[in-house]
Amino acid sequence: MALACACAPADADAMLAVALARDLDRTFEHVVIAYRARIVTFVARMLHDDARAEDVAQDVFVRAYRALQTYPAERRASLRLRSWLYAIAHNLTRNAFRDAPPPSDSLEYDDGMPRTGLVDARPGPEHLVLRAEAWESIGDAIARLSEALRPAFVMRYVDDLSYEEIAESLDQPIGTVKASAHRGLLAVRAHLEKNDD
Amino acid sequence: MTETNLRDARDAIKRDVSPDFTAKVFAGCGLDRYTNAASALGEVFVAWSATGVSAVRVAADEQAFEAWYDERFARRCVEAVEIDSIAAAARARLQGEDVDVPVDLRDCSPFEQRVLHKAAEVLRGSARPYGWVARELGSPDATRAVGNALGRNPVPLLIPCHRIIRADCTTGGYVFGGDAKRKLLESEGLDFGALETMTRGGFRYVGCADGTFCLPTCGDVATRVSAPGYVGLRSAKEAHEHGLVPCRQCRPIAA
Repeated sequence: MALACACAPADADAMLAVALARDLDRTFEHVVIAYRARIVTFVARMLHDDARAEDVAQDVFVRAYRALQTYPAERRASLRLRSWLYAIAHNLTRNAFRDAPPPSDSLEYDDGMPRTGLVDARPGPEHLVLRAEAWESIGDAIARLSEALRPAFVMRYVDDLSYEEIAESLDQPIGTVKASAHRGLLAVRAHLEKNDD
Repeated sequence: MTETNLRDARDAIKRDVSPDFTAKVFAGCGLDRYTNAASALGEVFVAWSATGVSAVRVAADEQAFEAWYDERFARRCVEAVEIDSIAAAARARLQGEDVDVPVDLRDCSPFEQRVLHKAAEVLRGSARPYGWVARELGSPDATRAVGNALGRNPVPLLIPCHRIIRADCTTGGYVFGGDAKRKLLESEGLDFGALETMTRGGFRYVGCADGTFCLPTCGDVATRVSAPGYVGLRSAKEAHEHGLVPCRQCRPIAA
């Protein structure tokens, strides 16, 4: 079955959805292959716990499979696979988030606004070279984002989902997810620049 | 830090997935996977789960294999897209390479599992009687049950049930047929001509130059029976009279 292709992700998703409608069991491994790295990364960033990320990500796919088994073919065919899988991943990580909230020196106030002292309104350097430790810092900064900002930030800037897809995954209005992703970006940027000094 | 170079950085924080990620997902879904593999008996289907190879089978086509699998194990098995380490090891082993292959025997009874693990101890180039397996497992009267368990071996070739033969050194049954069993054993070095000569002469053991006595199917001893230092023996008593001790490899008599 030649489902993996060089076409745009949305087209590949549509092909996968049609194939899922035709034969769930034979198509499911293609879904796992297409999304496992993204879902593991998303879960790892959400939990800030690489060790648990794979187990939770496996559970995401198992739950997806169980749900697909109950869907009629036409519902599978019209599925927007990417935002649907992220929605499952978000739901599963939300519980874990409650168990282990971000560190107390989080990057925002309780209302989700970045701490003013950390915010730098100037545009960042256009060609900032990111060293390995800077990448580590990004992971660190993401871990300090609150539950309100983290999912939208990770989906937008790590996983490259469209705002429409994020809104669908999180079941929030587009305006809200745009604002959350932007605030998250400001907070992460401020954290990185502060650490760069 | 701009949006653009943040995105440039995201590859660095992407996680790799472990090689058994998909297998574990499939285990959670209750699905096994299969692929094709070349073997000494031609093309076979190989199915596996997260724990090991669950089936090796010849079938007319994919549908026939899937139907057989469903009936035998009451689980669905789907054609794999990717080959993971378990399937790769199975393919290598079926091609004759000496690699460890985990097997999934969860659908076999505890007795069947013990029989299969015992059969797995028999090395290439050797064979053992059904009764030998029964005796080794502490159930000397269970020869027929041993035959049945071997007949239900879900992973023939990987667990070499073909190396268990009749006491008279004829092949006995095999999932791929008696001719295939003989062909396999011959390809592994067993000399049926020499074994038949021994059986016709009423010889049950071979006395060896190292002071031990063996089953005729212990490696190539049957081919040496007329060589200096070797002798055909009709009974264990005769072996004792020659001052011979049982071979520790083939354990020809009860301890």
